[in-house]
Amino acid sequence: MSTRGLMGFLRSRFPVDPEKITSSLNEPVPNHMKRWWWCLGGTPAYLFCVQAITGILLTFYYVPEPSAAYESVAHITFEVPFGWWVRGIHKWAANFMIVAVVLHALRVYFTGAYRKPREFTWVTGAIILLITMVFGFTGYSLVYEQLSYWGATVAAELTTAAPLIGEPLAQIIRGGDEVGAGTLTRFFVFHIGVLPTALVLLLVVHLGLVRAHGVTELKFKVDAKKKVQHFSFFPDHLLTEIGIGLVLITVLSCFAVIFPAGLGEAADPLTTPEHIKPEWYFFFTFRWLKLAGLGTAVLSLGFAGFVFVFWPFFDRLIERLTRRNLAVPIGVLAVLAVLALTIWEALAH
Amino acid sequence: MTLEAKRVVVGLLSFAFLASLIVVAWVEGLKTRVNPEPEPVLTDDSRACYSCHEDKTPAVTAQWNDSVHARKGVGCYECHQAKKGEIDAWQHEGKWISALVTPDDCGKCHADITAEFQGSHHAKGGQILGSLDNVLGEIVEGTPAVNAGCKQCHGSTIAFQKDASGEIKRDKAGKPLLDPNTWPNSGIGRINPDGSLGTCSACHSRHSFSVEMARRPDSCGKCHMGPDHPQKEIYEESKHGIAFVTADQQGKMNLTARPWVVGVDYNAAPTCATCHMSATRNQPATHDPGKRISWTLRPVISKKQENWEEKRAAMRDVCSACHTQDWVDGHYHQYDSAVNLYNDKFGGPAQRIMTALKEAGALTATPFDEEIEWTFFYLWHHEGRRARMGASMMAPDYTQWHGFFEVAERFYIELIPQAREAAHGHPEAEKVIDEVMAMDEHKWKNGLDPEQAKKVREFYEKRYGVDDE
Repeated sequence: MSTRGLMGFLRSRFPVDPEKITSSLNEPVPNHMKRWWWCLGGTPAYLFCVQAITGILLTFYYVPEPSAAYESVAHITFEVPFGWWVRGIHKWAANFMIVAVVLHALRVYFTGAYRKPREFTWVTGAIILLITMVFGFTGYSLVYEQLSYWGATVAAELTTAAPLIGEPLAQIIRGGDEVGAGTLTRFFVFHIGVLPTALVLLLVVHLGLVRAHGVTELKFKVDAKKKVQHFSFFPDHLLTEIGIGLVLITVLSCFAVIFPAGLGEAADPLTTPEHIKPEWYFFFTFRWLKLAGLGTAVLSLGFAGFVFVFWPFFDRLIERLTRRNLAVPIGVLAVLAVLALTIWEALAH
Repeated sequence: MTLEAKRVVVGLLSFAFLASLIVVAWVEGLKTRVNPEPEPVLTDDSRACYSCHEDKTPAVTAQWNDSVHARKGVGCYECHQAKKGEIDAWQHEGKWISALVTPDDCGKCHADITAEFQGSHHAKGGQILGSLDNVLGEIVEGTPAVNAGCKQCHGSTIAFQKDASGEIKRDKAGKPLLDPNTWPNSGIGRINPDGSLGTCSACHSRHSFSVEMARRPDSCGKCHMGPDHPQKEIYEESKHGIAFVTADQQGKMNLTARPWVVGVDYNAAPTCATCHMSATRNQPATHDPGKRISWTLRPVISKKQENWEEKRAAMRDVCSACHTQDWVDGHYHQYDSAVNLYNDKFGGPAQRIMTALKEAGALTATPFDEEIEWTFFYLWHHEGRRARMGASMMAPDYTQWHGFFEVAERFYIELIPQAREAAHGHPEAEKVIDEVMAMDEHKWKNGLDPEQAKKVREFYEKRYGVDDE
């Protein structure tokens, strides 16, 4: 069959015009995005792809069972060819992804890009950030080393402080009264099944909304006099994203070599470590927990999370009530508070 | 940036990524398979010993391979090294060594533990020459029984074979020949040629030196068992021992943990080591078990130890990992009452009668040549200890049927009739027996009506604070 014949065969079976798909994806990109640092929105999506690929490779060897989980991670790290590299990239990409999502959220927040009509782009993005953190937590717990085991135990304890649903929720998370086989299976299913599915669905909605509304345009003085205010996605912006992607994968690879993913002591349910610390992106919650006490901390963090997700609506409400736009000072205060709590916890023993 | 420039940058970045992959491949090539179990570390001094003994005594090197010593490079020579001129030293394959490893050798690294152990009752276990037990073993039974029996727990005085001129005999290689009556010996109170007392391997069996093994009741059970001091059996009968069996089967004892703190590193059951030696949240581990023992239950009449309050407080601290103060108070009340009962009713009076018989000339000066001396020995050395030790470690059957019941039977049915027979014609001795049997505790022998039974019960309750029903 000739090439033309093959194309005809495919077009008759898949009656979709490639030109139309290309043009629909080829959104006009505003000029400010010629600067790479305004392009962080695509970075989390790229890192998610990295996580999906490395995660699948890790799943080939990982065993989600308490007596074998730690050993399987050790096997991946020390014996499987290039296992240490794949695990290192997976670990570092997880951290980078959280940084990228947070930076992207900050950019959107402080440029006011979440405002009408893009409220639900923000809501979906905010949920993506929370899911990314849960991804990190469940993934870390799967290693089943001492700190990750006790981190999961503490997290389950925290959950019990939530009013009404706390205890049943903790039972659901743990799959029993204690962190053990039931917990590991649940974390595994969430980490490789539920969370990725949820994230993909949210990403589709999020990117669909971005495409539908267009990227919020930021006007810089240097761009003001330019005749053309937009440039094309293909191939101009795509090349920028590919460049960022290449830099990221190279840096990740270097990190995996220079700072390889280590392995602490195996989980020991009988021995509580002297110092339990979560991953760095939960430092602020952990410090807040120590300061405010279990009940207050859980309730206040729950409320803060709710405000964060639905911020565009709270923003409008505050503006109506005060007749002032307080988004920037509130944002600055929130960022400083999170930074201060994080640094405090990081420096604490 | 122009589109063309972007393409160039992307191309260059692709090369950078490829370069990073080359580094990754290089690192992968360097990677060696990691053995989760660290390899034994052999020093240059020990390598030659190991290579030969791996063939000659393979189990010894295999046990050492699994030891913590092996992980830390403490090998054959590090423990067996000796100095030229030392009584047990000989030159073997170019190095001065000794077959005997004494606490002084262990103390080179474990100085504090060794010093503590040297001060313990355990380390003095070999000094039994003047005891009644030793007369029984050495003379009544015979030396081979002592060498293969008593001294394998108490420890021998290590000696060398000597020729007619008194010189130590040596084999062709120059190795001093140890007296086979005194070696092999892993008795905990062994008296060593270098003057040190005891042997660490009594509990930390060579050549694995396993801390887990030392923490298991079986380790103590080598000596603390049998009719005269059945601590191991008593422990097994107690709730502590029952809990241990299940906890151990369920892998909850965490016996290899360092440190091994009750209530922190494990909580399902205690072993002998837990109560007598191991760390709590408030006190460190000790290699002197006497530091927590408030009574001595060994002699005819039990006595409180020197500084017994301090020692009891240390033991109560161990109890408090699992028990409330009320519970511990209750236990010590029952324990003290049982020991006092034995002392006042049986041990003390029996001793008094035996002393009176001896002083009256009713018995010879030779121990164990008369039936009553065997009866008395059974009473305090076997049954009396079982009753007291059973109460100390909460074993009801050892306290009662293997203990007080047999003490009472021995006292009333054997000792008193035998004492009366021996005292015939010795009024001073007969008077003492009469005085003993006139004690309130023994009046029941004269027959009891309900009123008298009530009085006896009230007497026990008042005196010992317990109901004897």
